[in-house]
Amino acid sequence: MSDTEKYEVFARKNQGDDTKHVGNVSAKNGRLAKMYAHNTFDEEDWDYMAVVRQGDLLEVEHGSPRTTVTTDE
Amino acid sequence: MSDWPDEAVEYVQAIADTKLVLGHRNAQWSLAGPSLEDDIGGSSAAQEEVGHVRQLFRMLQQQGRDDDWLQGDRDPTEFNNVSALDVIDGEWPEYVATIAPADRAAWYLLDAIDRNDMDGMITKIGEEEYFHLEYHDARLETLAEEYPSRIQETLEETLPQTMAFIGPSTYDDDADPLLDAGFTDTSIASIRDSFADHYRELFDDTPVSLDGVDWTVPDPDDWDETRRRVGSGGISDEDIRQLTGEENAMFAR
Repeated sequence: MSDTEKYEVFARKNQGDDTKHVGNVSAKNGRLAKMYAHNTFDEEDWDYMAVVRQGDLLEVEHGSPRTTVTTDE
Repeated sequence: MSDWPDEAVEYVQAIADTKLVLGHRNAQWSLAGPSLEDDIGGSSAAQEEVGHVRQLFRMLQQQGRDDDWLQGDRDPTEFNNVSALDVIDGEWPEYVATIAPADRAAWYLLDAIDRNDMDGMITKIGEEEYFHLEYHDARLETLAEEYPSRIQETLEETLPQTMAFIGPSTYDDDADPLLDAGFTDTSIASIRDSFADHYRELFDDTPVSLDGVDWTVPDPDDWDETRRRVGSGGISDEDIRQLTGEENAMFAR
């Protein structure tokens, strides 16, 4: 049985616009995530929409301000 | 008045009635899904199916069908929907394994219509149906892993009922009346093959076996050409009351 994962949803209204984060959906696979995103975020006539599995997002740490410092670093 | 062959009017009526009942079933089950996303999908599909029905009823009116009759002033046995939609027994997995084949079959029959004056409408419906059918397939894939026996048992009932709706295998390239009349460009036999191949491929790598499905239905001798089914039955009087808005009449006074 497949587990549910969170997928981030990105979309743009017009070709050439920036693609922006519009929300997220939880789904058991990518195929289902795409359909959930289409149905859930249908308030606009999107030119482009994509989903990214949250686990595939690469966090960019460089330049991020540190809010905590630990002694074991 | 009608410029379509009589068989074509009944063909479109069956597609429209299937969409009417599909929209009703989607609405009934739209708060019963396992996730909020599934509920939103069901609600969205319900609205879109009703929109398709409005378009198809308008065309049927142009062919001489009475508007009140179309809107529901008729007996249950005068609704020519896929018989699997008459009653859905079970829970959400059974619901999905019932509506998915019915929705796909209705789209295949609609897509086979070869009329310039319907091209735009069919293209628009197809854009929406893409998402319905893709969602159904994606959901059937996950349900096949989670509830294989329930999905298999349901499909063994609903796939033959839906094959009956599509029509008999004898309606091939040489003997399909609507193909002969130029109303459609694909024979019923070809649609049957495409439909069966789709589900065989979808479940090929899943725990669900379609070996027990009777793909030969309907026997042409038993087939009701108008209702596109074998046997009697129909939606309930309660369904008709809800479809016609009769239950809401007291609030409109």
